[in-house]
Amino acid sequence: MRYQVVHVTNYLYEVPATLCHNLMFQVPQDLPFQKVEEYLCEISPKPSFEVQRIDFFGNKYLYFSVARSHKKLTVTSKSTLELSKPAWDSADPSETMPWEQVVEWLHSTEASSEIRQFYLESNHVQLIDGIAEYARQSFTPDRPIMEAMLDLNGRIFKDFAFTPGFTDISTPLEKVFEHKKGVCQDFAHFSLACLRSLGLAARYVSGYIETFPPPGKPKLVGSDASHAWIAVYVPGLDWVEFDATNNLLVSDNHLRVAVGRDFADVTPLKGIVYAGKEQEMKVSVDVQALEEEEEE
Amino acid sequence: MIDSYLIERMFNNEPFLDEMATDQGKISSHWERLAKYYEQLGSEKMGQFHEEVGRQLRENGVTYNVYGDPNGMNRPWILDPVPMVFGGEEWEGIEKGLVQRTNLLNLVLSDLYGAQTLIKEGLIPFELVYNHKGFLRQAHNIKLDGDQQLIQYSSDLARGPDGKMWVLHDRTDAPSGAGYTFENRAAMTRVFPDLIRENHVRKITSYYQTFKNTLGNLTTNNKENPRIVLLSPGPTNETFFEHAYISSFMGFTLAFGEDLTVSDGYVWLKTIKGLEKVDVLIRRVDDVFCDPLEFKSDSHLGVVGLMEAVRQKKVLVINPLGSRVLENPGLMAFLPKLSRHLLGEDLIIPSVATWWCGQPRELSYVFEHMESLVIRNIYRGTNHKSVFGGSLSKAELEALKKEIRRSPYLYVGQEMVDFSTTPSWINNKLEARNAVFRSYVVADTENKDYKVMPGGLSRSSPEKGAFLVSNQTGGISKDTWVLGKAKDAVSVAMKPLSIQPLVRNVLPSRTGERLFWLGRYLERSAYTVRLMRMTLLSYNEADEDIHIQENPVLNTLLQTLTSMTGTFPGFSDKSILKNPEPELIALVRDADKSGSLAYSVQCFLANAFAVRDRLSLDTWRILDSISEELGRMRMSVTTVQQAYQSLDSMIVKLMAFYGLNIDNMTREPTWHLLNIGRFIESAVNNCTILKGMLSKSFDTESNKELMEDTLRCNESLVTYRYRYRSNLEMHGVLSLLMLHEDNPRALIFQLLEIDHHLRTLPNQGEGELFGGERKKLLEAITKIRLCDIDRLSEPNAKTKAYQELTAFLDEIVELLHDTSDVVYEKYFSHTGSNYRTMQTSVIPEI
Repeated sequence: MRYQVVHVTNYLYEVPATLCHNLMFQVPQDLPFQKVEEYLCEISPKPSFEVQRIDFFGNKYLYFSVARSHKKLTVTSKSTLELSKPAWDSADPSETMPWEQVVEWLHSTEASSEIRQFYLESNHVQLIDGIAEYARQSFTPDRPIMEAMLDLNGRIFKDFAFTPGFTDISTPLEKVFEHKKGVCQDFAHFSLACLRSLGLAARYVSGYIETFPPPGKPKLVGSDASHAWIAVYVPGLDWVEFDATNNLLVSDNHLRVAVGRDFADVTPLKGIVYAGKEQEMKVSVDVQALEEEEEE
Repeated sequence: MIDSYLIERMFNNEPFLDEMATDQGKISSHWERLAKYYEQLGSEKMGQFHEEVGRQLRENGVTYNVYGDPNGMNRPWILDPVPMVFGGEEWEGIEKGLVQRTNLLNLVLSDLYGAQTLIKEGLIPFELVYNHKGFLRQAHNIKLDGDQQLIQYSSDLARGPDGKMWVLHDRTDAPSGAGYTFENRAAMTRVFPDLIRENHVRKITSYYQTFKNTLGNLTTNNKENPRIVLLSPGPTNETFFEHAYISSFMGFTLAFGEDLTVSDGYVWLKTIKGLEKVDVLIRRVDDVFCDPLEFKSDSHLGVVGLMEAVRQKKVLVINPLGSRVLENPGLMAFLPKLSRHLLGEDLIIPSVATWWCGQPRELSYVFEHMESLVIRNIYRGTNHKSVFGGSLSKAELEALKKEIRRSPYLYVGQEMVDFSTTPSWINNKLEARNAVFRSYVVADTENKDYKVMPGGLSRSSPEKGAFLVSNQTGGISKDTWVLGKAKDAVSVAMKPLSIQPLVRNVLPSRTGERLFWLGRYLERSAYTVRLMRMTLLSYNEADEDIHIQENPVLNTLLQTLTSMTGTFPGFSDKSILKNPEPELIALVRDADKSGSLAYSVQCFLANAFAVRDRLSLDTWRILDSISEELGRMRMSVTTVQQAYQSLDSMIVKLMAFYGLNIDNMTREPTWHLLNIGRFIESAVNNCTILKGMLSKSFDTESNKELMEDTLRCNESLVTYRYRYRSNLEMHGVLSLLMLHEDNPRALIFQLLEIDHHLRTLPNQGEGELFGGERKKLLEAITKIRLCDIDRLSEPNAKTKAYQELTAFLDEIVELLHDTSDVVYEKYFSHTGSNYRTMQTSVIPEI
């Protein structure tokens, strides 16, 4: 599948901002099953300084600053991606390694720090009381890891209500767990906490899903803005992605941008702005499936 | 004195070793001279010397702030007149051990932010690093030039029961205390010069010489003339005194986060001249507070974009961001093995025995011995206090175990060390107190080596047998003496200090702003005292039973007081006027009442404290006595009589502050901004008093009295009599207080002074067009020079009020406010540092 993504972020100020510094995580990942054909970024007003870098987790990000007075900041990311089905799509979940063995392997020096770092707690993913017990209902002894994960994914989807407005970035996980309400990032953080409480390595994935589904298929939740889901490390299959918000094993209609321990590592756009009173922020994401000429 | 100490030592059966005496009461050789000296000196003389030491420190303004204590601001620094002493031979071992440890930690640091071979090979557990909040992923693969990444290192050491020194803590982020060490030594040298000379106490100055050379060596930008800035969290930080001290001592520019900005990848200092590039930043701000963009987004102590400037290599940050990962007690458990692996040597100075709970065997050991261990989080922070297992109840122990079980890798158990005692001067005699010694090591990049300060900061506990020693909880500091000559007594040569004159001229805008306010609050306090004094005199003279409203003089004074201090409704409220004493007393002593004298003096002191690196030592002595006076005023003024007395001594001290600055402040922007503030405030107050006192006409007697009081308020009564030799007349009074260019109390004099000081500021050069501030000022000056004093001194026939005068003064005040605004905009506006974070959420709208 080929997609075109247009991600626009607008900041409006009543009193002009005199200076802003920003970090932007919007460059899509280049993966065996996700080829970036084109990526373009437009920033207005033109930054006085910008540099593209790679972070600790391997994500490309952009640092830029605008050092002149402005009432509006617009950041537009345009990308064209070609997606194919990842290897895990055809794997048999019941044939994957029992999850305890994965835990054991992860805790040996055989596993690299690049993978192991994702079983540790992080700011938004705290191992709160009761979370391991919740996870263990799916992760029963000797169960193959992917099978158990699909079960957990389904339970979270069933138990939690997708409720925009109930949570924000600072809502603690306890509250999400208690009320069983939230949006995609809460679903993702909760899934991560479940897995990490068992000692499994799991990371946060930020990206997009298709805005207008093909005829006859339902529109997926979280399609009008950035979306978030998770990836679990499964030996032999690498990072396998699950979307609890839509109860899906991710395949070729999730577009990946960045990975991290949690939201804070990969915030699509964050910044610090001087002066700039009464700000308003608008984000729009448009994901279109492109005609695939070769197949026609 | 010594004998009783020895006897105590022999018969008390303490579990601790003692620095001076053996259990058998024998004095160690390096203490012999000292012991003899104290014996000959006697308690009485020693007590005097103790006081002298305290006085030296107080007069030098050495203070320490204690968090969370309302009276803790600027607590005086306490120094024991008895030092901690190391013999030359033992010191050699300690020095070697410290250099070895610093080398080792440096290698570990380089590896953790680079290849991470030590983790891959299992020599350092992965969880110990990746779980530590001091491991900054943003700093990965960022290096200083050369092999030395750790530039400053400190550790706390104590002598264990086996007679060896042990390392208790490593400090690698922004180690503090070296400045206090210097002040301690300075005070001791003044009080015990002979003792220091006879004992061949080693000098500690080489530490800063090495540090400075290293900075010059490391900078890649502007190598010849680097601009070095010390980044301080600000005047409320516990060790702010030290930041100011080190800055002025080393010729660094003291700055706070709001003084700096990142632009084009460079770090800039906002000065009253404009932006100046910064080459080196010595940070006393903790790691994650340094850049709100990349770390703690709610920090207002840092510089937005600093981390990126570091990546660009446009600025050097010392110690490098990320160094805090070494402040990790869990690491101590692995150092012996690391030392053999990396250096091929055994660790010379052991760390206190440590069990890291991230390993099953160690965890069970800690659980079994919890009551005899100190439990620490691997990350030192305000949320993570160390606890002594033995002090916990059963329930608390269980709760702690549960916490540890949840994230075992975040905890260590450490042995409780019985550190040695050392003689301390307490309750007028020598008593044994447990002591901890903080060492200071600095990289000598020129020789690819580390240098240890031969001395340091020792601290002892005020309580007997107490083992927690920290200045935050009330420790006593001790100078630390290393006896005997250094083997390599060649002192490090200072590089020519070509940077100094340049650095001195830089005035951060925020400092400029503080100086401006210092001047304003100084004058505001002085005018408040003068007007208050007149008011209280008149109040005391008034008949007990008279209605104030029927006493035009007193009433006018009270109304003027309210309007000058801006404390409305004040005496304009009839019920307050009926019983004015509480309001009068509050106006003197109530520091929470904005506009009161106590409030103004407090603001004056706060501004002085924030610019302390710009003020001379003698100035500090005066500030110290103003602060004492303020304390007395706030505590003891309960009657009008007491209020009056405290006013007299306050004004003398305020004027002494100003007088001293006339005498010793260089005529730099520092001085000029102080004076611009001062004269703007005087001129405004002058107008307010003239308007308040003289705008209405009463009976002849009252009018005369009001004119006399107005002159007195401005200390111009004598001048008036001398000049006019006549009765008081409005015309004469106004001429003297407004038009006489040689009378420092005249409005015109004050305005000309503002103009004089403004002219010297940058961007005001000759030939340039007048700036807005000078245009406004010129307008005011011209208005006064051209004013028709006859008309102004004539009351309106109908209303009996001096309407022309009131209108005229209002105009002048308006122009003064405009001038002040433009000065503000021009020189301080870029201190504006209100910023906020913004981030996109992923919350979709459906």
